[in-house]
Amino acid sequence: MAFLDNSGDIILDAVLTDAGRKRLARGDGTFKVTKFAFGDDEIDYGSYNTSHASGSAYYDLEILQTPILEAFTNNRSSLKSRLISLTNNNLLFLPALVLNENDLNEDTQRTEDGAGNPLSSGSFLVSVNANTNTDLGEIALIGAKGYIVGNQILKKGVSRYIRVDQGLNTTKLSAGKPLSTELTERQYMIQIDNRLGTINDFKNQGSPAFIDDDQIATYYITMGVGNYVSVLPPGELDGGTDPMNGPAGDYQVIPGPRGTSLQFGIGASDNLKSSTYLFETIGETGISAPGPSATFSTINTTVKVTGVTTGYTLDIPITFVRTST
Amino acid sequence: MAQSFKTLLSEDKATTRTLLHEAIPITGTIVSGTYDDENIKYFSHGMYEAVYDYPYLSSSANHIFDITCGYASGSDFQDSSNEQDTKKINIYNQMAQVLVGYDVDGAIQQFDVDGNLGGGAKMTSCYFLNFARLLVKDEIKKNSFRFDFYANNDKTDAFDPDARDGKVTIGDYDAQTEYLTNSPAGEYGLLYTSSADPLSDGESVVGHVYYQAGIVVLTSSVILGGIPTTETDGTPLVHASDTGSAQDGFESLTINENANAIRYAYDNIDFNNTIELNSTIYFCRANNTEYNYSSNPTYLSDSEIIVKGNNPTANPVSYITTVGLYSPDNELLAVAKLSEPLKKTPSNELTLRVRLDY
Repeated sequence: MAFLDNSGDIILDAVLTDAGRKRLARGDGTFKVTKFAFGDDEIDYGSYNTSHASGSAYYDLEILQTPILEAFTNNRSSLKSRLISLTNNNLLFLPALVLNENDLNEDTQRTEDGAGNPLSSGSFLVSVNANTNTDLGEIALIGAKGYIVGNQILKKGVSRYIRVDQGLNTTKLSAGKPLSTELTERQYMIQIDNRLGTINDFKNQGSPAFIDDDQIATYYITMGVGNYVSVLPPGELDGGTDPMNGPAGDYQVIPGPRGTSLQFGIGASDNLKSSTYLFETIGETGISAPGPSATFSTINTTVKVTGVTTGYTLDIPITFVRTST
Repeated sequence: MAQSFKTLLSEDKATTRTLLHEAIPITGTIVSGTYDDENIKYFSHGMYEAVYDYPYLSSSANHIFDITCGYASGSDFQDSSNEQDTKKINIYNQMAQVLVGYDVDGAIQQFDVDGNLGGGAKMTSCYFLNFARLLVKDEIKKNSFRFDFYANNDKTDAFDPDARDGKVTIGDYDAQTEYLTNSPAGEYGLLYTSSADPLSDGESVVGHVYYQAGIVVLTSSVILGGIPTTETDGTPLVHASDTGSAQDGFESLTINENANAIRYAYDNIDFNNTIELNSTIYFCRANNTEYNYSSNPTYLSDSEIIVKGNNPTANPVSYITTVGLYSPDNELLAVAKLSEPLKKTPSNELTLRVRLDY
């Protein structure tokens, strides 16, 4: 997309997204605009210079000169970061979503990047069938950190899982008090390529709210529904563990006031379980890992977690893996 | 509670209807000349020929209009021994069915010169120019159609552009108030020269322009002299008319050869099309207390808001570059981009007007 001409009057370039056109074409009344949001995708707030020598009028000079791209029609490509409304104008901190990998049992950690194994690349590794579990077991990846059994739904600890914590990621505020109600997320949105995988709460597979034209499934996760969301306990960090919960409890990653924790498992889609087609078309095949005679195929993707209240997002790298045997 | 979505209320939506017009000039050099007829597509059925704005084998060529001709069964020109007699009758009947309709007995009505179907002279042998949707869009704007052509060509020489003569301009003059509505295909106007007075003499009409259908019907008598034309392989033909009209061509030439005669008589066509835009306008309002913070990852440094400069009492600031319109289940249905970032603080309010056209 080109930049919009910003030499004259402010113009507004509006387009339907591909998802909007798809709903319009369906003619079933699902094309219904009921709400709006503002975004600031192009803005780099790092350019905001509060110490500009010419004064406050120049703080945002660079930001205001940022050229803006034309609208994308892909519904996944826009509104990556939304503006949010908060009643308190005196906030100095806002909560973030942080991938929690502090579990001492290594239940929530990614594979190690650069560990000498091509399958170990800093992402969560999701096996798609039992044969893959067996072959990964030969190279001691089964049971290793970052390895998620994707062909069945298992309890936390039996299989690895993903944990995202929400809170003020700062040491300037005490973690002894919980995050304010206004900033606490009670609903999350998880987006995953529906051709590749699903999410579960270690007991039941989730149901997507909708699947868009790009086959991206959107799951809404609400606190109190399923076993996904729990309130994080307050308490100062102590060497990566939370003394408030005991050594085997919730290992915290947020050093400041905490909100909620989102925890979920990843399952492989039936397509990946039963066919190599997607591995051959959008993945990489013939990957040799040290040890076993089998070779592996992988597909790299991301799972996007968004806080519905604050709009904060986190992209988590996922690798689906399948053995050749 | 923090919010990033705001519900659009009934007063935040408005619907409008706007008519847009584009000027459409179709010069004679496109219709015959520039592309050495490589932009003319003939068909094996020979019922019509198609004119493109570029050699039609190119993917960048656009179909702009078709030319064909026909006459009514039992008309003066019709004879079973004529070239493509059945096809010419078929074409006339097809166009008359669509544009004039049927009488109370279910018979196809003929094109009436002054549009009064109750009586008067009929156009029983006609040329048809069918314009593509690409040009016409929703309809031709009334009183905008003008056709320049050479009506009185040298009937003794082989085809030669320099031999063209008798240039006339016909148009749907005064049609913005004088158009007719008794066609099943919508509204139409009468075509005549600017000096004619068809309302009083009832005879000087030489054709019709059907606005919504995008079709021009010309009576064969618009051609006053000979008909220099070519065969579909480009071989020049001259058909002199014993009667000084196009009768000879309608009788002994194929539809394509008659269409070529129109192309070579053609000088210029101008009209304005009409596009009916139905729009929904969404007024996206940001009050002073709203949208002053951002979830942009660069907004925070270790959860601390950068634009505050470590001062809790400083006003938060955000910058709007994008407006998203969402479904009830938060799927992004439309996106609007601003040409420059808009600053949003607790001391200002904004209303962004997002228009979606259908």
